[in-house]
Amino acid sequence: MDIVTLIFGKAGPLLADISRYILPLVALVIVARCVRSMLRERYEPETWAYLYMTGNVMVPLRHWECILGRARSVDGQVDDPSVEKMHACLIRNATGDWTVYNLGKGETYVNGEPVQAGGALVRDADVLTLGQVSTRFVDLTEEERASLLKYRHAPGRRVRPGVTMLLLTVFQILLLLQQLTYNPDAGLGVAMGFGILATVQWSYFIVLRASGQTGFEPEILALFLSTVGMSVCASKTPDDMFKQIILFLAAIGLFVFMCLWIRDLRRVQRVRFYAFAAAIGLLAVTLVLASERYGAKSWIQVGSLTIQPSEFVKVLYIYAGAATLDRLFVNRNLIFYIGFSAACVGLLALMGDFGTALVFFVTFLVISYMRSGSFATVFLAVAGAVLGVMLVLTVKPYIMDRFATWGHVWEDVYDNGYQQVRSMSAAASGGLFGQGAGNGWLIDIVAAETDMVFGVICEEMGLVTGLCCVGSLLALAGFVVKNASSGRSSYFVIAASATVSMMMVQVMLNVFGAMDILPFTGVTFPFASVGGSSLLACWMMLAFIKGCDMRANASFAVKRPEKFSGGAGVDDAYPDDGDGEYYDDGYYGGGDGDYPQGGRAS
Amino acid sequence: MKKVTTRAFSVLLLAALVVTGMGVYLFRLIRDGGDWATFYANDSIYTNGVLNRGSVTDRNGVVLAAAGEDAFHYAEDSAVRRGCLHAVGDLGGNIGTSVLSIFRDKFINYSFFTGTTTKGGSMKLTLDADVTAAAYNALSGKKGTVLVYNYQTGEIICMVSTPGWDPEQGVPSDPEDGAFINRAISSSFTPGSVFKLVTMAAAIENIPDIWDQTFTCTGSTVIGGQTVKCSGVHGTLTIEKGLACSCNVVFGEVSRQLGGALISQYAEKYGLTSAHTLNSDIPTAAGSVPAATGDGDAAWEGIGQYEDLVNPYAFLRFIGAIANGGTVVEPTLLYGKRCGVAKLMEPSTAQTLSEMMSYNVSYEYGAGNYPGLDLHAKTGTAETYGGSHAWFAGFITNSNAPLAFVVLAERAGSGYGVASPIANTVLQKAVEVLG
Repeated sequence: MDIVTLIFGKAGPLLADISRYILPLVALVIVARCVRSMLRERYEPETWAYLYMTGNVMVPLRHWECILGRARSVDGQVDDPSVEKMHACLIRNATGDWTVYNLGKGETYVNGEPVQAGGALVRDADVLTLGQVSTRFVDLTEEERASLLKYRHAPGRRVRPGVTMLLLTVFQILLLLQQLTYNPDAGLGVAMGFGILATVQWSYFIVLRASGQTGFEPEILALFLSTVGMSVCASKTPDDMFKQIILFLAAIGLFVFMCLWIRDLRRVQRVRFYAFAAAIGLLAVTLVLASERYGAKSWIQVGSLTIQPSEFVKVLYIYAGAATLDRLFVNRNLIFYIGFSAACVGLLALMGDFGTALVFFVTFLVISYMRSGSFATVFLAVAGAVLGVMLVLTVKPYIMDRFATWGHVWEDVYDNGYQQVRSMSAAASGGLFGQGAGNGWLIDIVAAETDMVFGVICEEMGLVTGLCCVGSLLALAGFVVKNASSGRSSYFVIAASATVSMMMVQVMLNVFGAMDILPFTGVTFPFASVGGSSLLACWMMLAFIKGCDMRANASFAVKRPEKFSGGAGVDDAYPDDGDGEYYDDGYYGGGDGDYPQGGRAS
Repeated sequence: MKKVTTRAFSVLLLAALVVTGMGVYLFRLIRDGGDWATFYANDSIYTNGVLNRGSVTDRNGVVLAAAGEDAFHYAEDSAVRRGCLHAVGDLGGNIGTSVLSIFRDKFINYSFFTGTTTKGGSMKLTLDADVTAAAYNALSGKKGTVLVYNYQTGEIICMVSTPGWDPEQGVPSDPEDGAFINRAISSSFTPGSVFKLVTMAAAIENIPDIWDQTFTCTGSTVIGGQTVKCSGVHGTLTIEKGLACSCNVVFGEVSRQLGGALISQYAEKYGLTSAHTLNSDIPTAAGSVPAATGDGDAAWEGIGQYEDLVNPYAFLRFIGAIANGGTVVEPTLLYGKRCGVAKLMEPSTAQTLSEMMSYNVSYEYGAGNYPGLDLHAKTGTAETYGGSHAWFAGFITNSNAPLAFVVLAERAGSGYGVASPIANTVLQKAVEVLG
């Protein structure tokens, strides 16, 4: 402490005052660099195979899941009256085997053999016949693909991630300087916390950079938000800094695990049923065991730890809810999913956790929209409405109070508008640049570090930093949409879309709730709100965003094509099964005898 | 796959909602941020509930209220403190129309860009501490108000309202009735004879032979079945003398000729019935001059009784327009802030009224009572339950101190006897200070 006093005793206050104006600008540059990198890099689709049509027209297959048919919106268009609008789908598995499935009423043949319900394998040079049109399927060899890969651009050339990481470190140093200057309770613990944070992020960066990865924008944005959260924690309870840093380490660990786990789509699919069961189970257990806090029964006390299981259910919900293309065409899958969603939202409503229920509901709408074909849209709308009505019917009195206060918080500054007016006052009082980290008063109010965190950020770090935090999540959303066009499997596209949707709904409920634009529901700000469960869940979900990043060498959540045949490095830890029948109905029966049959229903 | 890819664009819909919501937030922050930041729970500007920054001074830099090292202080001089109370306000926000209540964001130096991270603001008002203290002392414990302003620049030199309290001592446990109200801007009173200026203006513009008419005052007359009493027996007189003597018989007859509706229209035209805003943000009370239907009521309406209610600030604007050739320079309380002009009446009407008000002084009130002042004025003694409101309103033509004024002493006696000496004291001080 003496050293700290010595260093910051005299020069500190002056430096901190100056740093208040630099900090938001650094934040702005960090987010701007990430946005620029994510939007300006080329998003070249990968090519996996070709279909040769009559007249030597060559149709490249850009995804692992391709629909063939007459419609313009399919991946491989075959314009002939004998072909259905959506006629068949071609699906590639991780080992490179292609299977064709019949989708509609039309006939599909491989080398003259009709395709059965379970699909049929398609090999290089096979003749694939849709209706009366014959095409030749040409699979790419490893060499051919390797030569194509040379023309794909890796990210990180225009905007170097290392520089952004350095800026992030500057951001952290400035925050620490302000904390030590303005916050009388901040000491060595806070300094160590920031130190460990920086060490972890640089270790992560160096290891992955050394292994050839160049895309780091999603992590940097998440690290930026987590850093902000770390400062909020230092302002609120400097003594909890150690706990927060342990949680952060665990979050990074879980993120890495999730990224490695989703590299193998088949493995992901195999345990989806467990995810369904775990989601419902966790919510049910919470309902039974949880103690009531702020009117919602969503926290479970385990020793000195308070866990909010619904946060983890978010991960499970997306994990289980996203689906591969073949499943999208089976109605019962969708019906099962709607039932599952209704159960989740219903359980949350019973707990009184209205905010989280709303988050799930909107995520449900996004996932189901992405999953459903035209035939199910009407049904889904009805299901959505029913769920919505259920929500309204189960709202608790305290939620009604909050609705009543909504838009009139200044008339109720002592009771239901208490938190909102203080958030607004503190946020306005921070101006564009803030009072300085650790120099705010809003943080002393109950739940300021979670539900009113946007107010705390604006007060202490300025409106600019606050907007950067919201901008980070918008950037992630834009990134996912941009990546969707080159996605290998719809599973990753849906999972990533659901993730950013969920996070944006949370941002809306958190920020707009605290600022009286929406009713105050008490939802966390992704990454930035202090709280273990939320932080862990957000980092786990970040893996879904990494999973849809298809730029060359961008993401370790995605297997590099050149390694499929070789099998070296990280891949060895998760060897593929070699089981060719990836989507075959018989799949669950073979090799995984102990797997419950119910899983197929999903 | 293409279908799913296309559907991913639905995510952008949510992003658009986030952006829209943030837009709403920013809009509100820019619009209302000052109100939010000045909320009493904002601990960065309040220490133990006491504002810890900002200062208000008069036009010469005399501190009227300021946050000090230890506590918040008001002006050093007791009369200045009490005299400026309603214009400046107190920390408790007890006077809603005060500078400290309305312009608290300026006081704490809030801005959208810096929030409250900078030092407090120093606000300069157009008030003159000495003139205000003189006005406070001149009222000598009577309930009432003194308003003085420069009708060429709009600067309010003096705005006193009594009763009040000493802000340095805090609000007394048993405050006097109406102590929280700034009578100058927040109340409306029966105008009595000062309203005859409005009736006169209407007569100038609507009764072509008004200058040729003669009237006979025998102390009272009957108009529309109602007896209109006069303060004296004036005999035969012209309209000029009728105004100078404030003869009710004359103005009862003129009002009958004009009709209640027309008089009401003129009151409205001169801004006497509408609510105004001082410096765009301080609201003032509306007056009301309902159109009387019968001749009797119309007579009383034109005399300034009936159901007439006039706000002193609105009346000051009217006087300011007469003084300034028909165009009012809108009053301002913030030094260096002009608030624009508005044409209220024809220049010729203003000129005629001005001459008649000068004649009032020379013929009736006695110029010697106002030494050195080129005074144009009108008295008013408004009869109300519990006593008469003493009014005195007018202006002086002095190149250094072109001042218009309204003095009102509530239920204190006659305009000439009570209000006019107060006006003289205040104007003498103002000319001394400004001249």
